[in-house]
Amino acid sequence: MKNRLKVLRAERDWSQADLADRLEVSRQTINALETGKYDPSLPLAFRIARLFGQPIESIFDDEAA
Amino acid sequence: MNATSTRTPLGRANRTRLAMMAAGMVAGALGAVVGIRAAEGGFISLDGLGWSGHLGLWLAMVLFISGLFCVAASFSSRLTARSLDPESTGAARPAQMTFYRLQGAVLVLAGLMMGAPVLAAQLVDPMPPELAMAVMAALVAASISQTALNLSLWTRADEMMRRMISEVGAICFWVLQALFFLWAAAEVLGLAPALSSWDLMTVLMTAYLCISAGAAYARGYH
Repeated sequence: MKNRLKVLRAERDWSQADLADRLEVSRQTINALETGKYDPSLPLAFRIARLFGQPIESIFDDEAA
Repeated sequence: MNATSTRTPLGRANRTRLAMMAAGMVAGALGAVVGIRAAEGGFISLDGLGWSGHLGLWLAMVLFISGLFCVAASFSSRLTARSLDPESTGAARPAQMTFYRLQGAVLVLAGLMMGAPVLAAQLVDPMPPELAMAVMAALVAASISQTALNLSLWTRADEMMRRMISEVGAICFWVLQALFFLWAAAEVLGLAPALSSWDLMTVLMTAYLCISAGAAYARGYH
């Protein structure tokens, strides 16, 4: 599943570690999300959506997989 | 600007990886020297020890030394941060240090538990039943402690690590049930020798460690 996590993070000038701290996950988890090696659980997807103030479907795209 | 400040985070991460690999090789060589010296000095005889005994001892040493490194590193916030994430440039939080210490304790216990039965049987032969019972009681206590530590790690891990642990368990089951079924069938048909429960346990642990290392690498834990 593709996502815009890297773009959204870059817009805020956050490092992977910064985003990991905000979401209470490891930096490796953020890296795996951004590189498409890991799809988040629904609760984590909601946390990401809330953090960036956008709906889930504008961040994650399941049709591009 | 000095030379240190011009280093890139990637170069630093690679140096950390190299340092950890070198530390592993030094620890392995040290373990081998200690083992050889112990055998030469007559402290322990590995004669008659089967392949699973040797493999079990080797795994025990790897787990024990790795665990000691984790526990020692967990007392330094910077070393913990770089061990958990070679690309880290800051210090680990107290929760991360506790997590790393727990991981180390699990590895140390795993090493002791894998090495104790083989070493005890080799050091005291024949072993009196009272001593065998005492070793067994210690192993049960260590196993209960390790289970508690593993549960604590599970509750502290983030969701990707939990999913990775679950996936490794599932892959191990599918791979080993197929291999053990085929071996058992060959054994029943008289085509393969019988395996002991220690043989099966060492194969299981080796497979688990290899598969978990592969899964960790695939998810970016390197």
